[in-house]
Amino acid sequence: MNRSLDLDTIAPDDPVTTSTSPQKKTIKKTSPPPVKESQAPKPSKSTASKDSEFRQKVYQLLKDKTKHPLSSMLARPKVFRFDSQDADEEILLVLRRHWFTNLSWVIIFIFMLLAPLFLGSIPFLDLLSTSLRSIIVLFWYLVSFAFAFEKFLSWYFNVFILTEERVVDIDFDNLLYKNISEAQISMIQDITVSQGGVSQTLFNYGSVYIQTASEVPQIEVLKVPNPNLVLKVLQQMRSEGEVESLEGRIK
Amino acid sequence: MIDYQNIIQIVQKIFALLGTIIYLIFAIVMVKQVSTMSQNVYDKFNFILKIFSYLHLLLSIALVLLALFVL
Repeated sequence: MNRSLDLDTIAPDDPVTTSTSPQKKTIKKTSPPPVKESQAPKPSKSTASKDSEFRQKVYQLLKDKTKHPLSSMLARPKVFRFDSQDADEEILLVLRRHWFTNLSWVIIFIFMLLAPLFLGSIPFLDLLSTSLRSIIVLFWYLVSFAFAFEKFLSWYFNVFILTEERVVDIDFDNLLYKNISEAQISMIQDITVSQGGVSQTLFNYGSVYIQTASEVPQIEVLKVPNPNLVLKVLQQMRSEGEVESLEGRIK
Repeated sequence: MIDYQNIIQIVQKIFALLGTIIYLIFAIVMVKQVSTMSQNVYDKFNFILKIFSYLHLLLSIALVLLALFVL
């Protein structure tokens, strides 16, 4: 009885019988010829990802959104740039606080501008000289301007940026402190949208909380317009990232 | 005899000068900060913001000069 020569099926004490007419097997190497590294088809990250189904959905979602520099929600802005942006990194979304959140300081600013009209009703100011009073009024207008300007700067430069690779949150707490946190989209673990209260429901704005697996555990995007759209865009980008990582296209 | 009116005027001038100089420092910080912010985040509107910050600085300098020479 011919026993198999397969080592897996041969017991140590089995008598080994060798075939007298061994079949010659010619093994043909089918592996492709070595390709030079420079010639290897490298999946271009930008073209591959930009053409993806998810990206098209994101573009579709952001189709009607404005590109005006003073908007709370800039979709795919042409001019907007940020410091650590890569040369070929596309910005998908830039978010600022909703315009309604500026209303309180605008009202205060208007009252500050009107305040010198009631200067005559303050009794001790009559004791001061006219030149000193005019300097005080000028000083007051400058302080009012600085107040409004500082509030505007705080609104304008505190931005949340979503690019094709990451999310970046730039916060200037006041004129002297800045805080920049960023996380790769692949690091995003959980996204929570919070919207409540009369004004938020009426004007459709709210907060988005992004939990990440990076050094910054949570990125807070507060009081931004249309938080549900932001959530949808982030979900699409996460799905795209997951597909890319499965395909091995991610950096 | 002590000229109280003159002393009050000098005190007023010192306080006005101090206040306006402190404000001038604040205006300089603001210009610097707008410039730093603009480096971090760039958009078309940044240019106008820089103009406003410099205008604010010029007005602050004018206020110091007013306090120095008019009072």
